[in-house]
Amino acid sequence: MIQLQKALIEDLLPDQPDPAAIATALQHAVELEHATIPTYLYSLYSLVPGSNDAIAEIIDSVVVEEMLHMTLACNVLNAIGRSPVIDEPGFIPTFPGPLPGGVEGQLTVHLRPFSMAQLDTFLEIEEPEDPHHYQALAAAEPVVTIGSFYQAISAAIGRVGESLFVAGPRYQIGPDLMNEAVVVTDVASAQQAITVIVDQGEGTAKGPEETFGTDYAHYYRFQEIQKGRRLVPNPNGKSPDDRYTFSGALVPLDTAGVYPIPDDPARGTYSGQQAFLNDTFNYTYTSLLKALHQLVNGQNTPEQFNRAIGLMMSLKGQARAMTAGLPNPKPGPVNYVGPSFEYQPVEPGPPSAS
Amino acid sequence: MSYLSGLRLHFSGQFQTNVSTVNNDAAHFNNAAFKAEYQQMQGPNMSPPNGWFNPQGDGTFRLLGCRITAAHLPSGEVTATDPVLSYIVADSDTAVPAKLVDLDPEQQLTSQIFGLSVRIADAAGNTLMRGDFEPSAFTDIWDRGLTPGGGDTNAGAYWQSVLTNLEWGDIDDSPFLSALQAAAAATMLSIKFNMDGINLSFGSPDFMCGRLVGTIGPQSASEPRHIVLGRHFMSSAGTNGNFFRPAGLLNFCCARVDEQAESLLLDLGNALPTTIAGGPIANIGDLTVGYLTPEGADAPAVHALGIVPATIYTQPDWYATTAGVVSLPLTADQRAQVAERPLAIVNTQNQVSTQESPSGAYLRADDFVYRLSPGDRVDAAVCAMRFGRPLADTEVGFAIDNGQLQPTPDQPPFAGASPPVGEPLSAVPIPATATTDANGVARLQFTCGDPGNVRWFNDGKDYGIDGQVYGVRPSFVDRSLAAGPVNQWDFISFLIWSAWSAPHTPPTWADVEPIFRQYANLYPVMSRFLDLGGYASVVGNAWLLRLAFGLPVDDPNHMPVTRDLSPAKRAAIMAFLADPREGDAVPAAPAPAAAQVHGESRAPDAAAASKYAQGGKTAAAARRLVMQQH
Repeated sequence: MIQLQKALIEDLLPDQPDPAAIATALQHAVELEHATIPTYLYSLYSLVPGSNDAIAEIIDSVVVEEMLHMTLACNVLNAIGRSPVIDEPGFIPTFPGPLPGGVEGQLTVHLRPFSMAQLDTFLEIEEPEDPHHYQALAAAEPVVTIGSFYQAISAAIGRVGESLFVAGPRYQIGPDLMNEAVVVTDVASAQQAITVIVDQGEGTAKGPEETFGTDYAHYYRFQEIQKGRRLVPNPNGKSPDDRYTFSGALVPLDTAGVYPIPDDPARGTYSGQQAFLNDTFNYTYTSLLKALHQLVNGQNTPEQFNRAIGLMMSLKGQARAMTAGLPNPKPGPVNYVGPSFEYQPVEPGPPSAS
Repeated sequence: MSYLSGLRLHFSGQFQTNVSTVNNDAAHFNNAAFKAEYQQMQGPNMSPPNGWFNPQGDGTFRLLGCRITAAHLPSGEVTATDPVLSYIVADSDTAVPAKLVDLDPEQQLTSQIFGLSVRIADAAGNTLMRGDFEPSAFTDIWDRGLTPGGGDTNAGAYWQSVLTNLEWGDIDDSPFLSALQAAAAATMLSIKFNMDGINLSFGSPDFMCGRLVGTIGPQSASEPRHIVLGRHFMSSAGTNGNFFRPAGLLNFCCARVDEQAESLLLDLGNALPTTIAGGPIANIGDLTVGYLTPEGADAPAVHALGIVPATIYTQPDWYATTAGVVSLPLTADQRAQVAERPLAIVNTQNQVSTQESPSGAYLRADDFVYRLSPGDRVDAAVCAMRFGRPLADTEVGFAIDNGQLQPTPDQPPFAGASPPVGEPLSAVPIPATATTDANGVARLQFTCGDPGNVRWFNDGKDYGIDGQVYGVRPSFVDRSLAAGPVNQWDFISFLIWSAWSAPHTPPTWADVEPIFRQYANLYPVMSRFLDLGGYASVVGNAWLLRLAFGLPVDDPNHMPVTRDLSPAKRAAIMAFLADPREGDAVPAAPAPAAAQVHGESRAPDAAAASKYAQGGKTAAAARRLVMQQH
């Protein structure tokens, strides 16, 4: 379970919080939701297509929802008349490092190819405050969690009330563009958007299912990988923790089906053609952040949304080639390249061959 | 105006053209005979040829590391106090990269750039000007390196187009950009760049990259967009070129008299040869630029206007900082003379290397690549000019000329013969002539017919290449205007799609499977996303495919990347994706007819390898009809 710094919510606790404090917390939420995506994608792209497909499907499904959560936090921020900031170098976390706002030394997040050890990090990120113990888990500690961070934001919005919101809808990404997106215009819709984020990430108090969407909460999806089985309802379960069991279809890990891309690469990790591939990926990734920034700052059109989707597909295509060591077959030993997810607003081009 | 103007900037850097090469062999369009190894990398010397040298290419075209190297105001070159000299020219930073696209497997020598956004940005990447590059094709491809052979690596070519939908940032600090913005009040800029020295060494850090050097200047709404309304130098063909090796060493080029700057601006950027592929400009001696008068017994007299000294143009940074543009000051008397006299460039032996037509007349289609459906109305502007001015009220003739198209012989490394080009002629009922208007523009107008499925394989039974390609060459009816060498590349390429309708309404998977299957075959990169040849995978990604197939052709995300899908087939695909139905079982690929298909990827012998293993453009140029007939 991620522990966040108490300072993140302190300004939200007064009876009438400063709207600027709510905006600061929401910007932090945008950064936090984004911050998990590179580490998930890095492991996802390390999986050899055709093997480990069940694991890939699970990670992919979580990434898609993290993007939704990032969008929902932007929707709330826009609804209160503030502007999300996505296109700055500091928006991207440093790997290895803590998640934004994470308690120092508590959890270090890495860019690593998929492994059960890396999965442990994913589980720690997504662990709910009070998980259902379909398998035994340690008890939660009274700290600031992602769930309580969002609850503090939701409560603060509720206390300030409708005066917080500008006439709208303002710059909203709605369900016409993104499945399950919530158009935020007032306290109720803002709190609903936050509930979607928390529900999909942590699950409901009653069970592992999402109230919104059709899947299990992220933590339980990742547990399916850990347990090697799909989580399925158990009609004979008596106690709450027996109502689901990890007894469904196999979710096997084929360790041979993982490309040996490096841990925590940076620009300096690579040279020659590999550096060029990594730079090009990062330029595309930076372009995506800029496109998303425009999308949530007034260009909330289908055309702009499509541009962002196109950039995501381009990243996927590039990463698939890099991690597989393509162009292929290479002369000499294959160098598997993992993207370093760094801010790269200028494409420097290839190093000279000579 | 145009880029060839007293107001212009030059930039220099690299390009990347990561094209797929599986479709270099037109026989690979034969679904019934496609083999898995056609998606694999070729062996040494194309033994085996497989999917040629870059089967994993994704079609991207990128501007890389392009820096602004010089900028000129009409009053002279700007100094370092103008921050424009620290700026870069870059492509989009909010969308996927542009795509480089051939018209057709049987016309690969007019590759177009689609979806390019050009930016001027500061060194940190902050945009100061952004514009959309109107899709355009390269022309004047030639053997630029003086070393023999070398194929594509040794080639040079240029693109000229306009930037539209201009957006300007905070440019107050730059007098140059402020002047450019003021001149672009008509909303467009002109851009031209030369590319050479592509690296085809697989595994090299700059594989599929090469040198790009260009110029940006103002553009008026009334002038042609892809050709300079100016003075065009025509070069005679030498021998032993893959593409074109000019006898006088200088390639086709153009110039413009800039009245405001009182100078002749001569663009040698795609005309000066290099010592080696992508290398330094070769020393071919001092070049004298002059105008010709007819006196003299055997040869016209040359009246020098200025000299382009070899000591200047061979300086290491000259090409990067000028893009090959030379400015020669002209007196009022000289300007009066050149207004009525043909220009020439003369070498140190006083031989003409290249010159304007003796009449001073020149014509070329502005946009010279068209994709059309049966029933579409062609309206192609052909620009005629004389001594750099529009040539009005002049008859232009049109003739079918398929000589530069590239059908594939049944010979290794090709998997089989490709269908013939240029037939039936009923699809291109061109008029014999048209007359230029006051702006010197003659319009080639006709309504496209239906070529039918003339390029299907196995006697028309197996799905193949859509439609047909044709070449149409414009020329002056008055032969006195047309004396002198002709530029072989100055023709108009047409791809006319076949009439088609899906067998079922709404279309089923069985109806559209051959279309998807062909893309899956030819573009292995698609397998990173989905199995385009599989019903479940296509349906599972239907929303994404609808998005990409629904985008306009100049969108960089447009599918298919190759822009070779007819509107009729696109409509069927969109209808299928909106309501996917499996329909009839898709028949298994029929056993290929033995006469057409060979058992395995065929390695060429040494002679064929020397023609075909030097790059896709070289291989295409080697099988032009005009070459096969000689």
